[in-house]
Amino acid sequence: MDMAAVELTKAESLKPIPFGTGYKLIGKDYPTNDLVAKVTGKAKYAEDFRGEGMLFCRLVLSPMPHARVKRINTEKALAMPGVKGILTPADVPGLADYINDNGTRIKADKWGELALAAEPMYQGEPILAVAAVDELTCAEAIEKIDIEMEPLPFNTDPLDSLRPGSANARMDGNIWVQAKPPRGQAELTVLKWTDEDFAAEKEGKLPMGHAPDEWSYGDVDAGFRNAALVLDETFSTEDVSHQCLEPRTAMAHWQNGKLFLYTGTQSTFQTVSAIARWMHMNEEDVVFISEYTGGGFGSKITGALTLVIPALLSKKLNAPVMMRISREEEHFIGRARPGIRARTKVGFDKDGRITALDMFLVSDAGSYGSNGDGGACGQITSLLYQPPAMRWRNVTVVTNTPPRSAQSAPGGMQAIAIIEPILSKAARKLGVDQVALRRVNCPEGKAEYGPPSHGGKRPYATSCFLKQALDEGAKQFNWSERAARQPKQVGTRVRGVGVALSTYHGGTIGFDGLIIITPQGRVQIQSGAGNLGTEALIDVHRAAAEVLDVPWEACDIVWGDTSKHFPYTCASGGSQTIHALTRAGHAVALECVRRLKEVAAKSLGGQPADYEVANLRVSQKGGGVGMSFAEAAQHAIKLGGIYDGHDVNPQVNKATKKAVAALAGQGLVASAKDNYPHDGDSFSYVACFAEVEADLETGKYQITDYLAYADVGTVIHPAALGGQVLGRSTLGMAHAIGQKWVIDPHYGVTVAERFYQNRPPTILDVPVDMKWNALNIPDPETPVGARGIGEPPVGGGCAAITNALADALGDNIFQRVPVNADTILTSYEAGRPMQNPLLAHI
Amino acid sequence: MAVIRDVMPAFDLLQPASAADAQKLLETYREDAWVMAGGMDSFDWLKDRIKKPKVLVDLSGVDELKGIRSTGDGVEIGAMTTLTEIANHPEIKKNYGLLSDAVERVASPQIRNQGTLGGNVSQDARCWYYRAGWPCYRAGGNECYADTPVGRNREHAIFGADRCVAVHPSDSAPALIALDAKFVIHNSKGEHVVDAEDFFVGPDIDITRLNMLNPGDLLTAIRIPSTWSGAKFYFEKVRDRNVWDFPLMNVASAMKLSGGNIDEMRIAVNAVAPRPLRLKAVEAAVRGKPADATTGEMAGKLAVQGAVPLQFNAYKIPLMRNLVKRAIGGVQETSWTS
Amino acid sequence: MSESDDLKQNDGAAKTITRRNFILGVIAGGAVVSAASYRFLAHSRRPLPGAGERLITLYVNGKPRRVDVMKQETLAWTLRYKLGLTGTKLGCDRAECGSCTVLIDDTPYYSCSVLTHTVRGRNVTTIEGLAAADGKLHPVQQAVVDSQGFQCAFCMPGFVMSAVAFLKSHPNPTRAEMAYGVSGNLCRCQDYSKILDSMMRAAEYMRRA
Repeated sequence: MDMAAVELTKAESLKPIPFGTGYKLIGKDYPTNDLVAKVTGKAKYAEDFRGEGMLFCRLVLSPMPHARVKRINTEKALAMPGVKGILTPADVPGLADYINDNGTRIKADKWGELALAAEPMYQGEPILAVAAVDELTCAEAIEKIDIEMEPLPFNTDPLDSLRPGSANARMDGNIWVQAKPPRGQAELTVLKWTDEDFAAEKEGKLPMGHAPDEWSYGDVDAGFRNAALVLDETFSTEDVSHQCLEPRTAMAHWQNGKLFLYTGTQSTFQTVSAIARWMHMNEEDVVFISEYTGGGFGSKITGALTLVIPALLSKKLNAPVMMRISREEEHFIGRARPGIRARTKVGFDKDGRITALDMFLVSDAGSYGSNGDGGACGQITSLLYQPPAMRWRNVTVVTNTPPRSAQSAPGGMQAIAIIEPILSKAARKLGVDQVALRRVNCPEGKAEYGPPSHGGKRPYATSCFLKQALDEGAKQFNWSERAARQPKQVGTRVRGVGVALSTYHGGTIGFDGLIIITPQGRVQIQSGAGNLGTEALIDVHRAAAEVLDVPWEACDIVWGDTSKHFPYTCASGGSQTIHALTRAGHAVALECVRRLKEVAAKSLGGQPADYEVANLRVSQKGGGVGMSFAEAAQHAIKLGGIYDGHDVNPQVNKATKKAVAALAGQGLVASAKDNYPHDGDSFSYVACFAEVEADLETGKYQITDYLAYADVGTVIHPAALGGQVLGRSTLGMAHAIGQKWVIDPHYGVTVAERFYQNRPPTILDVPVDMKWNALNIPDPETPVGARGIGEPPVGGGCAAITNALADALGDNIFQRVPVNADTILTSYEAGRPMQNPLLAHI
Repeated sequence: MAVIRDVMPAFDLLQPASAADAQKLLETYREDAWVMAGGMDSFDWLKDRIKKPKVLVDLSGVDELKGIRSTGDGVEIGAMTTLTEIANHPEIKKNYGLLSDAVERVASPQIRNQGTLGGNVSQDARCWYYRAGWPCYRAGGNECYADTPVGRNREHAIFGADRCVAVHPSDSAPALIALDAKFVIHNSKGEHVVDAEDFFVGPDIDITRLNMLNPGDLLTAIRIPSTWSGAKFYFEKVRDRNVWDFPLMNVASAMKLSGGNIDEMRIAVNAVAPRPLRLKAVEAAVRGKPADATTGEMAGKLAVQGAVPLQFNAYKIPLMRNLVKRAIGGVQETSWTS
Repeated sequence: MSESDDLKQNDGAAKTITRRNFILGVIAGGAVVSAASYRFLAHSRRPLPGAGERLITLYVNGKPRRVDVMKQETLAWTLRYKLGLTGTKLGCDRAECGSCTVLIDDTPYYSCSVLTHTVRGRNVTTIEGLAAADGKLHPVQQAVVDSQGFQCAFCMPGFVMSAVAFLKSHPNPTRAEMAYGVSGNLCRCQDYSKILDSMMRAAEYMRRA
């Protein structure tokens, strides 16, 4: 009997649990510690810091999509009063090899991006920076600089790049071949398909030439042979910018050989090593300050490479330098989700169960670095719809367009956007209810996914209760009634409902926690995550406080400044934080309890086991002697050694050891590593439901209702979770309703670079009253039971909308997202999708 | 010269307190002066450093250009009256609701608080090539970058293209045309008044501007005659996002009916051509016909005759047809029973 | 001959050839050209007047403030860089996001798009001016705290300022009306639902206050 079947029996009986059941802090709402500063304007983001004699710097961006900078004449600019210095590509150090946490040397990427480019690979790439007393002087100086450039061949459309004879985006290649396990880096090479390969284009289908990346499992051919219905669909997703509201502005100054750097980040802890690597410095000489970050979504995992510009200028000019990034600059350097063109063949049996799935992807890598979106697209498809047989092929194409990076649910979002419309179409063709079709394909328990790994076994999830979320969500949304409602059209208005499954990775393991019980009796928790608004930075420590059984008011969270010393911490990206750091927090809280008992026993007599910790005291069980946390901290300092950080828990990471050493003597200093068992890979899941109303005469539609029902394990902080569930759902919706890039391929130049051209959703573009809910069933593979939520709703947020649109308008409207008035108006009249899914950036 | 954006160039700021003073300044500085009303269009040009005027004449301190006055035969709206004030003005709402509907749909609340009627009708084209500083026809060059085999022109013109395919982006302009508004312009020769539709200029007349204002001219007021007071109005704007966005298209109409038949109608659309289009053929064809879907359909088909789509904007043809239809036949109320 | 001239000639030819050749036709091999001429010919090259500052008095958060201001300086810049009021954020500097929203005589404006010289003598209120002198939060601020409203909060000051103004004139908004009232503010965390929860709570607090 396989494991999934065992889980299934157990899982079927599981029901939603009221938030906070059995806990004092976990599952309860509370105002996070950073909130008052935010709402009074006191919260300081990078651009809010000032330095004595601070200079400003501004960038010069490449006007060409691919060129070589031949000559820069800065003479007139430097002669201007107020101009202090100019940074050119020659001043920026190359990429260095680095040693990772396992001690492995990672070779510098020879195709890697630098802060200033001598051979810009996309229009908008920074090539020069000017520092002056103010921005007006910077601007006037920049206009006095002459730059001669040699235009080089370019290509902005990934499919064009695969055509015979087409230009390559880079001089030495046009595609990335993914890293081969066990370790390796993606390699650049040249791939061209043949004219015969491109024949499919004439039928509006994605051509399928050679694809270098491939895996499969099961008998795909047999799956199609035995199918009652086989669909072969071409579908494209758009490149979508992260568009964090805070641009990646950075400020730097130097003091006694140390670099002080201020910028937004998704990990205060991990950005230090990135800065050190980019600057060729020792980590000890970098102080990184990032108290508040105005959005990241994957684009600020370790700050941004451009931060070296003010750092280098500041060093050169011996003054603080503020590099404000404008919205237009942010469009170019601010990263984006790669668009994917997909052709997917799916076989279904008569009940809608998938029999086989064959996925072929062309992913756009942009100008720098391969990305994992194509790979994740295959993995997530495999997990979420559980095809018994699947083949995945992928080609990752380099284009002369702005660099991509992970964006909330990288690859997963595209997978769901691509597959869900096929499921919807199949349900209609087979006469199966949309929820029912998803139910038969829904993962469950320790669901397997992807191809077998080296050991021959397929990886699997820690747990999955998506079926329960789907059922509960369908109930709350009144799915059956809504789906059966008639009429669907009144006058020129049609309405439709859609459901979509959604998932993404929900956590990592193996990080450290660090807590100090101070002589004042405070519980000081060192938090090295980034503060980008998910509140995970603070929420995770509710788990530690719960284990320590202390009131939240006794806890102080220290964050945002690496001179305050943080433990080895994950980046707040990929929905890791809640999972990884509740584990680490749980571990360090238990360590704290253990040390408190030992301190009490050593000072008051008896065995540690005779003591218990509660209400900020450690006391003998049954009401004997005891001491307050304050007293225990004072005793710990007297005892020294492991108790006050002069010795350190040998299990923790070397970075944590350094932090402990720096904090030694300040109280009872406890550190611990998350060593908890973890069978499987953590994912979170969401069932998404939407209703839309479209006007056939204008092509305008409005999302009128939305519900996301989440399976995220234990709910830690309901309000913050709700914000994430709906916020990231809306991030997904944005892909359906409007966000896009527009690039003129003839010049290789972006024409839509402002919000009013790229169209991030406004408050009036989403339902006025969105709903969310969560099962609150703990994940059995993690001590607190909590998994992450940032990524999992994104794909479903997009696909629930497109599915509702297809319900309203039929299956012949769109083959790409976003779907807008133009898509609907032209296609509805023609009775077939009129927008070419293969053209990029329209 | 390397390019930098998002730093406003230095200029001399002149802040007249009277229309006469403003007038004098414009006369004095002529081509060197940039007239700023609310500034919502101006700031983009300035921050992009594409326009670097020597002096900026800020009209925000000219109180006599602000406000809405009843004239006995309609209303006069000062050119510096904000869109918010117009949207909320009782008399305009009551008698000329077409205009309040139109300005209510401009951009965002903050922009309507600052943006003025004069500015809204005088704003420049939003073609993304032109606004990004490409040396196109409208910018004095010899090329249209939007109208090429691969040019990105989803939001461009289906009518009236003459080398330039940009569209006029104003929401208030078609409403003012439908209301038969008169634009009051002052210059050294005194006051002259033009019909709303004649204020706007296509590329066939002058490719470098969207309206007839010359250096030295000051748009002071817009007068709405009582002719169409209380008529049956229709305004609709179709845009991608419900805030901020310029129209993919809009339509404004005023109809006088007797017994369900159309006695007289004025109708204009915008964002289909480099100037707002009054649809005179439609106005003539619907006269005497019932204001219903059948007439609307006929009118819609008539309206789009001669439209020339570009590669990415063919949707504008059914959209215009349908908007004209709706302006006449109305939209069926949607009342879902469950 | 500039690159642009090259491009124009290619364009002329392109109209008679296929799209494919058209795209590929762009590259002029080996030519070295000025970066500025690639597409930006329309820039004015007029010499610039000096960036003189002038001392003016502003009324910010109820207090007169003497400050040196350039002619072309925006209110957002003056607040942030001259008066140290960094609660007003610059998200786009183009009237497209609302992070810089402040009240001028109780009406919300994008301070990135207001020249400081045009608000002499008018009352400017920023996020720093909402709480009482004793630190007691404004009802809208308190409602945000009580609802855990917003995520990264870069947009928060702007939203709060819009809401303060809107709720003064619309004390009893429906949820849809409230959304309309703050529709000139963009949230990229897309936390609109929770923001509206907190704004509806704010309406209640303001009615009670």
